[in-house]
Amino acid sequence: MWRSPLLLTTLGLLLVILGAAGQQDLEEQTRKIASELRCPVCQNLSAADSPSELAQEMRQFIFDQLKQGKSPEQIKGYFISKYGEWVLLAPTPKGFSLLLWILPFAAAGAGIVLVLFLIRRWAKKKKRAAKPVTPAFGEQPETSIPVADKISSEPPPELARSSLREKQVRLSAELEELDFDFDSGRFSEADYKELRKELEDQAVIIHKKLDSLPPPLRNQPATPETGATPSHGATMRSEPASRRNWQLVAGGLFLLLFGITLGVFLSKSLRPRVSESDIMTGDFLTGTGPGGVTGNSGSDTESFLAQGRAAVERRDWPQAIDAFKKTLAIDPNQPEAHSYMGFILAQAGHAEGALLAFDRALMSNPNFAPALWGKGMILYQVKKDFPAARQTLERLVSLMPPGSERDEVQNTVAEMAQLSGKEKQAAKTPPTKGSSVIQGVVSIDPKLKDRVDGQGTLFIIARSAGSSAGPPLAVKRIDQPKFPVAFSLGPENAMIPGTTFSGKVTLSARLDKDGNPTTKEPGNLTGEYKKNPVEVGAEKVNIVLDQIM
Amino acid sequence: MPWRRLLITFLLILPLLWLLAYGFTRDPRYIASPLIGRQAPDFRVLLFDGKELKLEEIRGKIVFVNFWASWCVPCREEARDLEAAWQRLKDKNVVFLGINIQDRQEDATKFLREFNVTYPNGRDLSGRIAIDYGVWGVPETFFIDSSGKITYKHVGTPGAETIMVKVEEAREGLVSAKEGKGSYQSIR
Repeated sequence: MWRSPLLLTTLGLLLVILGAAGQQDLEEQTRKIASELRCPVCQNLSAADSPSELAQEMRQFIFDQLKQGKSPEQIKGYFISKYGEWVLLAPTPKGFSLLLWILPFAAAGAGIVLVLFLIRRWAKKKKRAAKPVTPAFGEQPETSIPVADKISSEPPPELARSSLREKQVRLSAELEELDFDFDSGRFSEADYKELRKELEDQAVIIHKKLDSLPPPLRNQPATPETGATPSHGATMRSEPASRRNWQLVAGGLFLLLFGITLGVFLSKSLRPRVSESDIMTGDFLTGTGPGGVTGNSGSDTESFLAQGRAAVERRDWPQAIDAFKKTLAIDPNQPEAHSYMGFILAQAGHAEGALLAFDRALMSNPNFAPALWGKGMILYQVKKDFPAARQTLERLVSLMPPGSERDEVQNTVAEMAQLSGKEKQAAKTPPTKGSSVIQGVVSIDPKLKDRVDGQGTLFIIARSAGSSAGPPLAVKRIDQPKFPVAFSLGPENAMIPGTTFSGKVTLSARLDKDGNPTTKEPGNLTGEYKKNPVEVGAEKVNIVLDQIM
Repeated sequence: MPWRRLLITFLLILPLLWLLAYGFTRDPRYIASPLIGRQAPDFRVLLFDGKELKLEEIRGKIVFVNFWASWCVPCREEARDLEAAWQRLKDKNVVFLGINIQDRQEDATKFLREFNVTYPNGRDLSGRIAIDYGVWGVPETFFIDSSGKITYKHVGTPGAETIMVKVEEAREGLVSAKEGKGSYQSIR
């Protein structure tokens, strides 16, 4: 009986000890895994060493996972799936990361090879310098030693000849060096002359000695140095000197080209900062930022944009859409192209799509004025979202310089407050049919009927009463019209979407031969409404084309 | 010979210069997310109003998940934009969900009151959701499409326009090629 409590106590103690040991083991494993992981919010600290809250959470997570029986590899795999390979302090040696492992060893190897190569070259040079023909400048010159005696100690004539030729070559190199030192101001003229004379004397002696030797047994090809004497120093110097010149020229050219290339690329890669949050101000050279100039495609973007703008002016919507789509294919963040797309969509009555396009433009450049204007007007005119419209237009006002344009936007904001009440009232009562449109017919003067061949484009143009210049208020385009043509001109034909189409307007029409509203060809038929100006909402407005341009 | 030497020097120096220049253009704190285009990790979060929300339960809607903290300055900057975007999108099959991390309950509640935040918000007490989403900065925002796939991630303040555009893209199932970046703060 007494044994059971003792046994239970022993077992309990054993379990506690084992549990503590297991806990310790888990903590050790946690630490090991965490030490292989990077702390995402620290600079070069492992998750094991970092005191940050995130690292603590990571350690707790690792501990929990180990407790659940996950292997270290599984846990590391989990972190890689969340933060990428970056999270490993030692990335796995495969793919691009393999370079990180290879490059340091390769660089160290290359460095060692380079050092060995240089040491070998220096050693060779030193060896050559150790047996000079003449002592160093400033020491006792060779002329003080009877050269003839020295040469006579070389019994075989072929050996003597080769030795003399070698000395001759060295002498010419020393002469060249002397010239260079003198040119760079290291010697006074007197010293230079003296040293040069000494060297020339030695060369003459060697030359004489060579002449006194018996002729060679075989015909050996004469080296350029063989016949050279100090008096022919210019020819001896020509090759190394020209090499040095070439090196200088090549170096200069390289620096020049490098400078030009750097200048061109850097200036192309820079762009103005568009907002506070816009950190990058360039492309691949200076950092890629949204809307940055994209190297080779910059000019294409500009040319497509120009095509799009021209197409908008012609009101050739398919071509304009095509051009802006091409622009956006090159640069998906181009704010102007997005804004134009917004205006085109608004024109076609797709308010949602237009808002989206303006938002895309503002995403690239939050202060892009046309997009702010378009968005504000759609929110105001179509969506009737007055607070949002006012916020957008007020942002635009804050960006605009003082002037008539800013006043106009400010007036719109003020108008909005007044109209919001009216709009609410109007929403309660059913709208009067045709109240914001002008309806009528365009016909041809019978005298000019033979001038019409069923081709061309008819433009019906409305301008604010009293204004004859500037863009029209609204334009309707009818291709290949069959006269008489019934028409209806309303806000959907406004040149600037969202513009109020109300009040008095003057109406005119033109049958254009080439369909381009910006050009006026001779032979185009025009006509004005005889009772101009007319109130928007008028009906039975008859315009007769009775004039030839 | 001098040409060859020049060429070799040039070829050796150029890649090193390029590597240095490339290094200067990089933000050493920035961690690119491998999660874009992948299935969003499921989670269960306790909301401030006491209810519980499970990501799986709102599958079929566009989900906008925003990680934030009351001590984070960019989170304060974006708060009004997020609420405005929520007001525009709340009836359009979109769910906004704020997840408060590394914060104190009272500070977080004060923040929500200050900015009149009306969309659901919850707290990630253990930090597990943040780790699951590879969060390293605040604010961080994930756009999840109706099939549960992450279509876009934005580190920092996204701005109202980006939210509108990215929600529409998520609606079409379009996955962004890369994540966006605004002003952000590293988490603690």
